Amino acid sequence: MKIKKGPSTIIFNIIAYTLLALGAIVCVIPFLMILSGSFTDNHTILTQGYSLLPRDITVSAYKTIFKAPQDILHAYKMTIFYTGLGTFLGLMMITLTAYVISRKEFKYRNNISFLIYFTSIFGGGTIPWYLMYSSVLGLKGSTIAIWFPALMSPFLVILMRTFIVGSVPDAITESAKIDGAGHVTIFLRIVMPVLGPGLATIGLFLALGYWNDWYRSSMFSTDSSTWELQFYLYDLLNASTAIKQMSQNSGMATVELPTQSVKLAMAVVATGPVLAFYPFVQKYFVSGITVGAVKG
Amino acid sequence: MEVTNKQDKLAILFENRAGKKLGVWITLAVSALSVILMLPFANWIKIVNGYNLVTKLKVSTDQVALLKGGYPVYSMLSFVQHASAGIMGLFSMIMLMLAIATAYFQIAYLVKGLANIRGKKGELSLYGAAEAAMVFNILLTILTMVFAAFSNNKVGVKGFVPTAVVYVVLVISLLGYAVVKKLQAVERALYHEHGLWKELKKNWVLFLMLVPTFIYFLINNYLPMVGVYYAFTQFNFRDGLWASPFIGFKNFEYLVSADLFRLTRNTVLYNVVFICLGNLLQIIFAIFVSQVTVKWFKKTSQTLMFMPYFVSFVILKVIVYNLFEYDYGVINTFVTALGGERIDFYNTPSYWPFLITFFHIWKGIGYGMVVYLATIMGIDAELYDAAKVDGANVFQQIRFITLPQLKPTFIILLLYALGGIMKGQFELFYQMVGNNGLLFNVTDILDTYVYRIAMTQPLSIGLGTAAGLYQSVFGFILIMVTNWVVKRRNDEYALF
Amino acid sequence: MKNGKKLLSLLLAGSMAVSLAACGSDDSASTYAPADTTPADTTTEVAATDTSAEEETTEAPAAAELDTSERVDLVFYVMGDAPADEQVVEDAINEKLLEKLNATVDFQFSTWTDFQQKYSLELTSGGADLIYVANWLNYGQLAASGAFVELDDILNTYTPELRDLVGEENLNMCSVNGSIYAVPNASPEYVSSGIKYREDLRKQFDLPVPDSIEHMEEYFLGIKENMPNQGILTSTTEESTGFQVAFDAAWCLGIKHPWVAANGLPYGLAAMYDTPNQVFDYWFSDEFVEDMNLMKKWADYGFWSKSALSDSNNSDSYKNGLCVAEPQGQNPAKYITSVSDFEKAGEGWESAYLAYGEVTGIIYPAHATQNATAVVRGCKNPERALAVVQYLMCDEEMNKLVQCGIEGTHYTINDEGFYEAVEDTKFGYEGFSTWNLRNDQYKLFTENDVLKNEIFDKLMKIGEKTKFLNTDIYSGFTENFDDYAAERTAVSNVMRQYLAPLQAGLVDDVDAAVAEFRDKVTAAGLEKVREGFTAQWEAYCDEYGYK
Repeated sequence: MKIKKGPSTIIFNIIAYTLLALGAIVCVIPFLMILSGSFTDNHTILTQGYSLLPRDITVSAYKTIFKAPQDILHAYKMTIFYTGLGTFLGLMMITLTAYVISRKEFKYRNNISFLIYFTSIFGGGTIPWYLMYSSVLGLKGSTIAIWFPALMSPFLVILMRTFIVGSVPDAITESAKIDGAGHVTIFLRIVMPVLGPGLATIGLFLALGYWNDWYRSSMFSTDSSTWELQFYLYDLLNASTAIKQMSQNSGMATVELPTQSVKLAMAVVATGPVLAFYPFVQKYFVSGITVGAVKG
Repeated sequence: MEVTNKQDKLAILFENRAGKKLGVWITLAVSALSVILMLPFANWIKIVNGYNLVTKLKVSTDQVALLKGGYPVYSMLSFVQHASAGIMGLFSMIMLMLAIATAYFQIAYLVKGLANIRGKKGELSLYGAAEAAMVFNILLTILTMVFAAFSNNKVGVKGFVPTAVVYVVLVISLLGYAVVKKLQAVERALYHEHGLWKELKKNWVLFLMLVPTFIYFLINNYLPMVGVYYAFTQFNFRDGLWASPFIGFKNFEYLVSADLFRLTRNTVLYNVVFICLGNLLQIIFAIFVSQVTVKWFKKTSQTLMFMPYFVSFVILKVIVYNLFEYDYGVINTFVTALGGERIDFYNTPSYWPFLITFFHIWKGIGYGMVVYLATIMGIDAELYDAAKVDGANVFQQIRFITLPQLKPTFIILLLYALGGIMKGQFELFYQMVGNNGLLFNVTDILDTYVYRIAMTQPLSIGLGTAAGLYQSVFGFILIMVTNWVVKRRNDEYALF
Repeated sequence: MKNGKKLLSLLLAGSMAVSLAACGSDDSASTYAPADTTPADTTTEVAATDTSAEEETTEAPAAAELDTSERVDLVFYVMGDAPADEQVVEDAINEKLLEKLNATVDFQFSTWTDFQQKYSLELTSGGADLIYVANWLNYGQLAASGAFVELDDILNTYTPELRDLVGEENLNMCSVNGSIYAVPNASPEYVSSGIKYREDLRKQFDLPVPDSIEHMEEYFLGIKENMPNQGILTSTTEESTGFQVAFDAAWCLGIKHPWVAANGLPYGLAAMYDTPNQVFDYWFSDEFVEDMNLMKKWADYGFWSKSALSDSNNSDSYKNGLCVAEPQGQNPAKYITSVSDFEKAGEGWESAYLAYGEVTGIIYPAHATQNATAVVRGCKNPERALAVVQYLMCDEEMNKLVQCGIEGTHYTINDEGFYEAVEDTKFGYEGFSTWNLRNDQYKLFTENDVLKNEIFDKLMKIGEKTKFLNTDIYSGFTENFDDYAAERTAVSNVMRQYLAPLQAGLVDDVDAAVAEFRDKVTAAGLEKVREGFTAQWEAYCDEYGYK
């Protein structure tokens, strides 16, 4: 169907394109500053501050990082491992749970939804949470402590539940049941095939959570072989401030700190790949998901 | 009445007296009695062997008088507090919470029973209430006995004895439970309802599917909740986490004295602005993106707006400082180049709420857009086509199709966000403001404040947990109230 | 499950302390004793806090020979980041440890992210056996709260060699409430506060050495006038988060005062080093107003940025010539780093150092709790753990291994006999951050150490004239602020909010700002905090005879 553009469409387009372009620029400027900073000589950054275009172009920061690339490559490997495993298991558990609480014939669906939701408003705090993993389960230093805690989130479970309710009509599951299909069959044959967009969106949320996390490495890693990439970066960034705060301790004098441009280059190396990846996921939003209430 | 005929012996329970079945009257009486017995005059635990007990506990002279005699079920905590009896505090805390829950269920049942409130399925909801009341009575009495045994064992003196009250409540509650079960069975058969056991048998596959989730939430969320107990203790390493002295609400008093009102106000206001403005802009930009037809522009702008999400706060801080610094900052360089006066951002608090809000929204806009964008994409294209045929222009389409379709999503996201309204964006505030005391009046939120306390006091576990508990409870009450209000106006939009 | 048991045993240990303490009281009476006749020893609450000490004495082992029949795996928690070759060096260490003590040690690193929080969590969860402790990690408060194992008996019985190496005097400095909880290193050093500054610029413009407030001003101003675009100080608030100062530039004032600690006592109190028990008031004195006027003057000269309160420049600024001096937290070691940094930069810059003590005449070496090792409560084999420490410190080969790595692989000894790291070494100098295991007897000297020793010698000479010889009075003091914790936090907040801008000279009217600060800090409960502190401080001075 072809409809000619009215004046309102043109006005709207002008507004939309302008604001979008503006928004995109505002969002990208700091990133450009980081990128150009990573190619700028460290002394120049310190004396002249940041700029949009690199001055005194040098790749020395990247050379420093990749002089001993095994560390950063290992961190990459670990993050990919955590993201892959965590997103896969998380999606599986979220989808299963969402399926169960979407079943009308399941008497306790609302109670269970609420119990899941409740965890998002009420918690015991960091300390007992930490002790649970480190002392009670003895997982300190293990990779499990890094991927396990982020497998599920109440919001995502309920998002998925709403999506299942919306995309799998009751009539279909009812008729399948009459044909003698069990829950496993219904789940695998009827529900899973239509979940594409839901899986993509929720998978994106999960994966981003894993990719951007540094906190669990900070808490549970006992040596750098289990570090997440973001923590590798974050720790570099923090080191200089932390070391300065312990001003009186002479032992720190010998520590070699990363320069400003190395920090920025690290930031580029750590986030670049995700940004390259993101456009490929975008298209899955087309079919859409909606958020729904806790109750079903 | 045919069912009752089969059980002649118990038929009496089903006889109607004064508008209710006799069984209901019996259980109501049990509930009423146990409520009365929970009042302060009835001691559930008696302190015997007093001298030995106080010497073992090493309490100070002036405290001894406070420890004499017996205790109602919910006030063992005060004993523990006066006696500084460490780990018994956790136990009494659980007992107190259970006692409150029990009282609540008794009263709920009494109200329901006496006011004749009926649910969709006849008497079933009434029996459900009765069952809960009886079960909690039983649990509470058993716990009381266990507590006495545990405490005696802990202290090493037989100092705590459950009184007759405990046994009486236990016996009548067991009786009441049996009665309720009988009534329930008949009523269930009537409505084809079933209990947990039957559901388990029927839908065991579904339960099995939930097992990993159950384990996950148990480990990650529910078991650590026990840790809220630390909020009522003053931690020291010698006694450890569970045996540190119980100090009641001291940690909370401390928080209140720390200008809790200002912190709460700041935190809530910032979050309200973040939520409202953030969602609004996310919606606007999601609509823009969805309407744009040039493919590369659509993709690029969407991707670029996602970028800030990846900027670490530590780097953001450096960038922000470079932008707003007085002498060399980008903005001031620009302003002076145009012949303006330098702006003293870092010594002027009034700019900061805006700057912080800006950077918060900036950072989350691409991420937040995803849900709205997905919702818009899910709107039936026929709606738009029909509108176009009717001659609606693009603004009208947005006004009458897109926005109404987004409304449920918006309200629900809003409700989700409310639960966390006391939880601040610690990193954002901490990195942007740092230790600049000049700005604290307008930029201090609960999280940054607690962080500073933790820095000056190495042993502030109790205080930190207390602050966390305050945030949780505040969020919980808020969400409950809001949900109730929303539910009354329009059930469809309610969260639960 | 291993850790689960550990937690359990920790809990048991805690409860045992309570029950053991209860033994020995009268069992016969079964009624409440009248309040006034209750035996005093059982009714004082203080008794509860002393129980662990009693517990310790009851076990008093007789055998001096350590039983090493069972293998023990220890975790040693240290600060900072792991070196690349952590495993290689650990393996080398463990080979020797297994042979000699049938034990292994696994170094775990705090990393610098949230290290304060993680440090206390580590102690709470009891994951480690040995741990690095220091006064800047609140050693005193942690020890008083029972985080560590009392070492007195173990030191005497099992590790006399270690005791003798460190010395009675140093060990006593680590004692809290009468028990020793930590073993300091055997490497005395001076960490006196001072200023490091650009000597080349001083010479170039013929400016005075900044050895007094007036000369400092002349020096800064001279450079400012000659090089208008040169930054003078890149002061921030980062090194001033305690209770003495709130802005880094205010450390300069240290050159005026022969105070007992670099920036006076906390909460705006002060005492002279020679008469530490005579505490007097600084914040409410006229001198304070004068000092604040000075800071305002300096700020107006533009010695630091107007946005200094939020600045968080990294430690690179001096190194890169962004500022010409750093007056805060500078000790000889930091000065030496700057000397070698300038050499590397090759711009002809020169760095010089002046300890404030050289002017005030108050010089003392670092307190023993600056770098020390403790055994975490909950460690199952404290004797073996301490024996490992002894081995790490007292054995020449072992000490070199743990501090510098493997010779040939990680470092070489050059012709002049100095330590030299191999290029791109995977285990730097003190790669495990084990500053607490330093032993000067076996230490491999670097070229920098020559310069350092020169300064130390100079400082030592001044120190000989200091009234209490080699005594860092303030660092030995452990404050118990339980009774006024709320007021203390409030005072801290007022300091950040009102004192910081005052000391940074970012106020329009100094007198009005001083008055406001005084009002606010009084309202925050300063009186109560000061009372509590002064009483403890005076008691401490009395106890050790600092009069």
